[in-house]
Order: sequence, then structure tokens, then C-alpha cells
Amino acid sequence: MALKSAIRNLRNNPQLLFVRLPNILSFLCIVVGVVWLLLLPLNDYSRQTYISENALLPGQVHAYFTGSEQNIFRGYKKEIQALIQEGPAGLKVATQKYEYTSAGIGYQGENVYGIIHAPRGDATEAIVLVAAWKTADDELNLNGVTLALTLARYFKRWSLWSKDIIFVFPPDSKTGTQAWIDAYHDLHPATVQPLPLKSGALQGALVIEYPFENHFHTLHIVYDGVNGQLPNLDLFNTAVAIAGGQMGIGANLQEMWKHDDSYQDRLKTILRGMTKQGLGYATGAHSSFMPYHIDAITLQPKGEGWEDEMALGRTIESLCRSLNNLLEHLHQSFFFYLLMQSNRFVSIGTYLPSAMLIAGNFTIMAIALWMRTGYYSDSKPGVSAGSDTPKSKSEKPSGTVTEKEVTESKLNGSTVAERVLALPLTLVSGLHLIGLVPLWIFNTIFHQYFTAATYIFVGVDVVLPLILAALLSNGLGISRPIVPQQYLLIKSFALLLLGLSLSTLATLNFSLSFMIGLLCAPLTFITRIQGAAAVRYPISVLGLALLNLLSPPAVLIGVCWYTGVPIETVLTQAAFGWDVWGMWTQVVVWCVWWPAWLIGCVLLGSSMF
Amino acid sequence: MSLLIRLLQALALLLFVGAATAEHTSNWAVLVSTSRFWFNYRHLANVLSLYRTVKRLGIPDSQIILMLPDDMACNPRNAFPGTVYSNADRAVDLYGDNIEVDYRGYEVTVENFIRLLTDRLDEDVPRSKRLGSDAGSNVLVYMTGHGGDQFLKFQDAEEIGAWDLADAFGQMWEKKRYHELLFMIDTCQANTMYTHFYSPNIVATGSSELDQSSYSHHADNDVGVAVIDRWTYYVLEFLETQVTSANSKLTLGDLFDSYDMSKIHSQPGVRWDLFPGGEQEGRLRTVVDFFGNVQNVEIENANATDPGSLKEDLAEIARLVEKWRKRDEEYSAILGNSSQSQSEGAQSHTVQLSSKKPVGATKMAEAGSWGKRLVGLSVVGACTAVWVAGSILGRSA
Repeated sequence: MALKSAIRNLRNNPQLLFVRLPNILSFLCIVVGVVWLLLLPLNDYSRQTYISENALLPGQVHAYFTGSEQNIFRGYKKEIQALIQEGPAGLKVATQKYEYTSAGIGYQGENVYGIIHAPRGDATEAIVLVAAWKTADDELNLNGVTLALTLARYFKRWSLWSKDIIFVFPPDSKTGTQAWIDAYHDLHPATVQPLPLKSGALQGALVIEYPFENHFHTLHIVYDGVNGQLPNLDLFNTAVAIAGGQMGIGANLQEMWKHDDSYQDRLKTILRGMTKQGLGYATGAHSSFMPYHIDAITLQPKGEGWEDEMALGRTIESLCRSLNNLLEHLHQSFFFYLLMQSNRFVSIGTYLPSAMLIAGNFTIMAIALWMRTGYYSDSKPGVSAGSDTPKSKSEKPSGTVTEKEVTESKLNGSTVAERVLALPLTLVSGLHLIGLVPLWIFNTIFHQYFTAATYIFVGVDVVLPLILAALLSNGLGISRPIVPQQYLLIKSFALLLLGLSLSTLATLNFSLSFMIGLLCAPLTFITRIQGAAAVRYPISVLGLALLNLLSPPAVLIGVCWYTGVPIETVLTQAAFGWDVWGMWTQVVVWCVWWPAWLIGCVLLGSSMF
Repeated sequence: MSLLIRLLQALALLLFVGAATAEHTSNWAVLVSTSRFWFNYRHLANVLSLYRTVKRLGIPDSQIILMLPDDMACNPRNAFPGTVYSNADRAVDLYGDNIEVDYRGYEVTVENFIRLLTDRLDEDVPRSKRLGSDAGSNVLVYMTGHGGDQFLKFQDAEEIGAWDLADAFGQMWEKKRYHELLFMIDTCQANTMYTHFYSPNIVATGSSELDQSSYSHHADNDVGVAVIDRWTYYVLEFLETQVTSANSKLTLGDLFDSYDMSKIHSQPGVRWDLFPGGEQEGRLRTVVDFFGNVQNVEIENANATDPGSLKEDLAEIARLVEKWRKRDEEYSAILGNSSQSQSEGAQSHTVQLSSKKPVGATKMAEAGSWGKRLVGLSVVGACTAVWVAGSILGRSA
């Protein structure tokens, strides 16, 4: 009985239903979303990794890359040190020149690559081995290149390849593979030469980085791709299984050199992975392969130990044999996962609700606002409370009556209100389009202006909402001034679009969606503040100040200050990503986050006018 | 009335055939691997190992149907081109010189397999692709691949169900295409595959129970794949080390007793109930009854009791012998009766003596024989005289 009446009360109480409840629900969604993510490292929510592709058979072959091959390695190393660049005999070799320009910086280079044709294969598939002359950290990859050359000579003598093996030697890890892979699929820009020599469909790629002289201890596996795309988990697992199981070399990921498998370390690994995924930049030469659905990883020997280049060579040999066993593209295992340890992961089904809940909080609020604007009873008190609004005195002068009482009193006579959609729709879509302006600016101007542009943009972000708010309150110069219902509608549409974009994005790039969702979380609870001017002004100024701390350029400056990376470097990298790698992070920032943030500021700012 | 008697006779005949003896006249083997792809190398090796064994024990290629869906020997991934090994020691190349694959590649389908068993094949299908077994044939069916509860996967997208297989064997029985059948299967949950069999004279055995996996035995790290499955490995071990010749007297009971769960890592199963006489009778069948090529000579129809069959003849001869002995006894009895009638009250001994009296009468003629000898001597003497006289006369001339 009590429950029934409680439900009836709830149903008959629009204040609760449309004002309080959505706030509570949205807040709960955010809290649960964050807590969910924090639960993931626990054993109950994560899973042991396993190899799901039967064909891979990791570590089931003896690797014979040893002994005399080491002499070859030394020989090649000497030759390379003498800067005599010569491909191993018997390989079909070709070169490719390319040139990129981004943010006023030119990038030129020449890829050298050779193909081992599978002696008994059908030349329809290929594996790629990449050794860039410069690693992702800009060190000379001397041992890596030498190892690749030695492996090329060694592989050439096996007759058991079912796929061609392509050895690529790009000049650096940023541009070379991108130019090569684009040209391989004939999708290269005019400044990149086409490839004179090609093979079959690429099934997998391994990048070797070994820039130092001493023996190593563990193998660091880098797997993040452009736009947060990941290689199939089977490839990563195979590498871990071969390195750990067969060769006895430990595997690290996400620069977690000391991982004691504790909750903190697991969470840290996940968060590092999410940061890289969210930013969506290329973490190595392997990243460029991912957009073409070619699974790729970089192997980086790390630490001081007793493993030499032969051990790395055997690992790569064994990996190549596993890839060689493949009958079709890697597809059995996960493409969407978060790794927390070399042998533990969570799959998309487990972690997705986290970002979805955060994205959902915006949608819940948007729907609630839409429903709320359908009642006269609800919109009027808002009008009446804001005494400086032109229409305020028209119906009920009840500035002292609390909103709830008003709502309840009006409830019985509540009718369906007509929504005035034109202005809110135009404003929201207009502001989203304006997002293209900073997108264009930050991807086009020369790199030396990036820092200045960022600071200018912080200023713009302070002023622009106030101008817009003033214009809105004064009727934008158009005949009819804005009504409070329209403020709610503006917020509703903005949140609806934000929720929609973020939930869609969550399935593609979970981390980016999660991060943007968290940064936008305050927008759910920001409304036009009503009440006495003495309360209104300080609150809205304070709110605006706080919101400005969460604006995209302010966050960028804050993060750069915290990590010690110059703003120019970050933005140059971002522009490069946009121009060369096909990175989409900026689009999300400027066309999803920034407009939503701007509308939140406008709403808060409008309470001052 | 006579019709009824004839019917009863026919029924009796049928019953007699039903309780047939172990006699069979030919051996056939159907060896099937059902999976393709390099990482299933071991299934091919399983089948080829068994192929080698049945050939060693005497079944000719013409009576072996070998189905191989993939060509591991020529796979580019094979580090030893042209070979297939079922052991990491690589002592025996299973793909050596004498191998006759009857169904290969995508010919290995469920349809082809069932058509083969039931002989529902076009006229133009060559003999090598036909199972030419008849009511006197012992058939060995060995299958291996990836399976599950009551199904076995064929190649990429097909599977054969336990009922399909049961019906195929049922039809084989109706068409008199086997005398006795040994069904062996090595796959995950293998024992579920023979649960639905219903036709008689089948012994079935599998590698693992419901919800159990079958495991591979070991991998060859140079070939880079597992090379044989556990159950098959230990079955082969028994066949290779114990059943050394086609004259082996080891029985199916011995073979099944050799299953060691601690080695096989799954629970192998055996089904006897379809076999007449059940387990007791089935265990007595020798291994070479199915794996070898023991050919019993059949005269017209070894099992039948029709007039003219060997059995009938032997029985007839035995009857005749009995008859003659009886007649002899009767005859002597009649003789004894007559002497008794001659010298009444005399004992049987005297009867026998008296019966020898005619022999005594012949002795009486011995005296006359001396006269005959005398005549003969004189004739010889006369001839000698003539010859001597002639030779003397001839010399003078």
C-alpha cells in the first residue's frame, strides 16, 4: 500500500520526476561509471588472457636462429656502422620516397624494403617486419636494423613460409611506415611515391626496436594504434606466450617496468593504456598499420639483463612461424580490450558500461529537460523566479514562493506547452559548426604559433560565452526575446547531442569517450541560476571561472604544465596526426566537447543578464 | 499344411544365419580424417598411421577407402616437404611411396561419406571410390577430427550427426554390406557418436566420453604442430607392438583392455550390446578379424546349410558312415542269428568259430595246390628247354 502510494506520489510530482530525479540519476550514472572502471582491475571482473586462434600454435616450433647467425649479425652491424646500406643478397629490394608537410614542418624520407617470396606459398598473403632507422624515441635503431637484415638472410633459407615476408626499413618511426602502408594500399597522397614492388594481403606486422648495445632483460610490447585502435589480442598474447613461455623473457606493457600484479599497478596499467588510446596518437611504427586492419605490435627490448640479440631474433622467428601458421586474418580474439598485465585483460563487454553510463547521464538529463519543457507548470516558475526577465510578471508574481510549491500548485492545471524550437536548434547546431573554426586553426597554422594560439583561445573561451549570453538575453536583436523554456531546450539539445556522440564514440574509442564524458560531467548540472542578484552574480561568476578551468585549451595547458611537455610539441604532434596519421581526436575535442562546454557556459552566463 | 512346414523351415534357416559364426570372407577399411588446415596435422597423421597398420596386416589398397581432406605433405608450412610423420622421432614417413588416397580435399564431405557407406553412388564412380563390401565382409570404420556431443565436424562447415551415422550403418546392414563392423572414432566427446547405432553386429569404440576432450599426444617442434592424438597413439602402440603378424590371436578384448586412462587422459568407451553374444562373444573376435585380411574359404556359401554346402556334405558323410556302420552291425547280427539257428544253444564264441568254418573249407584246397605248382614248374622247365635248344641250334646255323 505504502509502495503504491509512493509510486503514485512520484508520478504525480513532476518536480520530483523532472527536476530532482534526473539529477540524482545522472549523478548516479557518473558515479557508477567511474566506480565500474575502478572495479575492472579486480580478479572478478578481469580475465586471464588466452589464445583463441587455434592456428597460431605459439611456441610450438624450435627456433634455430642462433650460433652462426650471430656472426652474420656482427658482420651486418659492421657494415651498417660503416654506413654501407646494402640489402641481403637474393631479396627483391625497392625504395620509396615520400614527403609530408604539417604545421609548417616538412618531413622527407625514403623507405627501403625487400620481399622474401614464400618458396612454396601462393603469394596472396604477407607478413611485415619493420625496423626503422630511428625508434619512436628518436634513437638510432642500430641493433634493430641489423637484426632485421640478419633475419632476412636467415628466413630466406627456410622453405616453410606460406606467406611472403616483407622487410621494411623506414627512416623513422613516425612517417615512414605510414607512407609505406598508404602506398601499399594505393591510398597515398601525391607527395608519396607509389610502391614499385608489392605482395599479397598483409596479415600482421612486427616492429623491431633495439637501439642500445647492452643485453636486455625484458621485452616491452607496444600495441596502441592510431585513434585508439588495437591489434587483435591474439597477436599480443602470442608475443607474450612466445617471449615468456618459450624464450623465458618477461614481457612488459605500457612502460610498467615493475608490475607486482597489485590492484594499484593493474589500475595504473589500464589508465596508461586508456590515456594512449584516448589521445589516439601513434605510439610507434606499428600504429600506422592498424587503420588498415593489419595487426601490428612493436617489440622493444628493455632493461639490463642477459638476453642478447639472438634471443630477440628467436622470439621474432617464433612469432613469424606462428603468423605463418595463420589460415585467415586474426579474428578469433578481441579487438576491444583493456590490458592490465601481460596476462590479464578486460573485454569490451565488461568495460563498456562504464563509458556508456557516463554518456547516458547526459541523455537522461536531456530527456528529462525535454519532458519538463512540455509543461507550463514547470516553465512558469522559472520565469517568475527570474524577476529581470521581460515576461516574468505576466502570469504569477510569486518570487518568494519556493519552486516546489509552485509546481505542485500548478500541477493540477498543468497543460501541454508548445515548445519554441527554432532558436535552441539553431544555436546548438550553429555552435557545433563553429567548432570547425578552432579545428581548422589548430591543424593549419605553423607550429611556432601554437602556444600563442592556445592562450588566445583561453581568452576567447572566457569572453565568447558572455557575449553569446548577452545576445541571447537581449533577444539577439531579433524581435522576440528568449523565454526560459528555450534555455532548457538549448541545454536539452546540447546534452542530447553530447550523450549521443559519446555513447557512439564509446564503442569505437572507449577511453576518449570516457575522458570527455568525465570532463563534461559538470555540464549536466549547470543551469541558468535564478534568484536574487546578490546570490546570482557571485555564483555564476564562480561557476564560469570553474568551468573555464575545464575548457579544452585550459585542460591542454594544465596537462602540459603537469607533464612538462611543451604545448607546441603536443599540438604539433596533434596536427601531424591529423595530417598524416588520420587522427580524429581533434574532431571530438572541437566538435563535440567544445560546443557542449560552450553551451554550458552560455547558460551559466545568461544568469547574469 | 506343406506351406506351413516350408515357412517354418525358412524361419529356422533365418535364425541359423542370424546366429552366424565368425566366418568372414573379406576385410574392408574406411579411414576418414575430417579436418583440414595445418594445425590439424595430427588428424591426418592419425589416419595415415592406421592406414599403414591395416596395410601391414594385409588389407590391400583396393579394400581401403582413405579419405584425406587436406594435403599436409604439400602444405607450404611443412618443414619437411612431401612427408607426414606421426611421431617426433620422424622414423616413418607415413606419406611414403605406397599411398592411395581415394577421397581427397573437398571430396571429403558428409554426403560422399554416407553415399560411400550405403553405396548410393553413380554408375560412373570408379571402383577405388566404392566400398565393395558384402554380407561376408568385416568392415573397419575409423574416423578422426573435431567433434562434439553427437556430431563430428567435416571440414569447415559441415557435420555428421550420430543419427546420420547410425542410419548409414543401418542401411548397410539392410543392404548386406557388412558381416561385422568395428567402428572406431577419435575426437572430443567421441563416445556420443555411437550412441544411436541400432543395426546388429557392430562393435564401437571411442576415445572420450560426453563432455570430455580428446587430447593430442605430443608435438613435433620442427614441424611445429601436434603430430598424433593420444587414443590413436596408444591403439597404434598396441597394434604395432602386440599384433605383429596377420596370424596374431590377440582379441578385441585384449585391445580394449590395453586402454589406460592415465595415458589417454580421457575415458575411452566400448559398445558391445549390438553384437550377438554381447561383450562375451565380442571380446573373442581377433584384432586381425578387422585389421587384417583373414580370408576364410567359402564354398558356395559358408554359412548356409543349403544342400551342397560343405557343412551339409560333412553332415551327409557323417550320416552315411553312421548308416554303413549300422548296416554292418545289422548284417553281422543277421549272420549270428542264422548260425544260432544252425547250432542251437551254442554261445556267441562258438557262433563265431562256426562262422569261420567256410574259411576252413578253403584250406582243404591246399592239397590241390601242390599239383598246380608241379604243372607250372614243368611248363617253365619245358620253356627253358625249348629256349636252350633254340639257342644251340641258332649258333650252329
